[in-house]
Amino acid sequence: MSTAPATCPFTGAQSTQTSGTAPTPHANAPVREAPVAEWVTIEDLHRDPFPIYQRLRSEAPLHWVPAVNRYMVTSYAACHEIEQDETRFSANERNSLMKRAMGHSMLRKDNPEHQVDRDSYGATLRPGTIKKHWNEIFAQNNEKYLGELLAKGPGSDFVWDYAAPYTAENLRLICGFHNANQQDMQRWSQTMIDGTGNYADNPEVWDKAAASSAEVDAAIDEMLPYLAKNPDHSLLSNLASMPIPLEAIRANLKMTIGGGLNEPRDVLATTVWALLENPQQLQEVRQDPALFPKAFEESVRWVAPIGMYPRETTQELVLEGVRLPAGARLGVVLGAANRDPKVFEDPESFNIFREKKPHLAFGGGVHFCAGTWIARAQVAQVALPAVFEALPNLRLDPTKASIDAGWVFRGMTAMPVIWD
Amino acid sequence: MPIITFEQSNGTATEVEVADGGNIMRAAVSNGIAGIVGECGGQAMCATCHVYVAPEDAASLPEISESEDEMLDCTAAERTEFSRLGCQVRLGGATQQLRVTVPSDQV
Repeated sequence: MSTAPATCPFTGAQSTQTSGTAPTPHANAPVREAPVAEWVTIEDLHRDPFPIYQRLRSEAPLHWVPAVNRYMVTSYAACHEIEQDETRFSANERNSLMKRAMGHSMLRKDNPEHQVDRDSYGATLRPGTIKKHWNEIFAQNNEKYLGELLAKGPGSDFVWDYAAPYTAENLRLICGFHNANQQDMQRWSQTMIDGTGNYADNPEVWDKAAASSAEVDAAIDEMLPYLAKNPDHSLLSNLASMPIPLEAIRANLKMTIGGGLNEPRDVLATTVWALLENPQQLQEVRQDPALFPKAFEESVRWVAPIGMYPRETTQELVLEGVRLPAGARLGVVLGAANRDPKVFEDPESFNIFREKKPHLAFGGGVHFCAGTWIARAQVAQVALPAVFEALPNLRLDPTKASIDAGWVFRGMTAMPVIWD
Repeated sequence: MPIITFEQSNGTATEVEVADGGNIMRAAVSNGIAGIVGECGGQAMCATCHVYVAPEDAASLPEISESEDEMLDCTAAERTEFSRLGCQVRLGGATQQLRVTVPSDQV
């Protein structure tokens, strides 16, 4: 039993609870129904979700949002509670678009089934393998694609002429697709992500997703027997010798393609953009390259590459004072949670020197991002320092606009840059 | 019941009773102990449940596994010979009492 008031590691709030169970609302706090936010539109979210999150979050920890057909959960405390409790908040939601686009991957399973899939990835994505094997590969790929950007010259696009091919090529080798190229990876990733986000039920989007899905199946079928005889450090090589059903391998690889390309690409570009827009911080980082990891973490907090993921309640419950029915379809909006003023001071600002608090960009609980350390290595350790060293006086092209967009996934869609 | 004492850098100490077989991270998070995060829920993946075990207790703990070892290299606070990953250290059996210090940083 605690002998002193306990402090919440996330919000600093003190509680006097002495049991080992999760905190319950104060006895007199009324339970309310979820407010409805009819004013939210997908178009506005896509252009810039942050003012919308500010308003939502200031009103309530979660709202029913008709345009999204989900309860959008925007407070840090509520998002964190969801992530850490898979019993009440299931990842295996009904009518999953991801399941339709990619098959039933680990991302949409609960334990114990989820853990079987997760464990099948073995040590491939863990820090030990990254140090012994992937870092060198990342460095080689970075030299190649930074070289291509340099050769293309000032006025090129930081995302499409460097960050995208670099992260795509890294993922290609991590997966083990020796029979495809980085352009295939980019196409597969975007079309399947578009299927996962196809709330509009657009048939053309389904067709493109299905075409990519079939291509990935064929590529896996070809690689598995080859890697069984010629093992390497890739995911498919590891899976080739495991008793995992082919259906699971296919779904998990597709999920990995969708989750491991756009995201590191986006954090790489967003971080560079943010540092260029905050020259004082950039100057400090250039003087002390050990600060690049700090810049990376602040960047994924500030603009989480994945802004929202779904969950479904398994029972009627109360979440941060709001009643939710069983089977409620939730959107865990970590893009909003990461800017909760209850946790982060001046949260809308990019500030690599802010007081360190844990962000939710990599999720939490059993589904904590398996690619976390891969992203940190390829972006913060390898790419960021090299970018500022190789491109003297790097700056945004003043004659062409940089564009950031998206909310479920958010990043730079255009980023023309120049250098000396 | 096994007991963990969590010591903070400001000198405060909090005693927590732990269920048999419970791990340090879960005990800390369930009891609101400041400075231990455990973001990944205990799967030795996030390195945010780092603790320093008291020297007199450290020697009697089971050895550090490979996966715990690689995560201890990724901690925010400096790794010492007394560093352990809270989610990988269970209480019960021979380990009935533990004193740990909470590091200054987990992120």
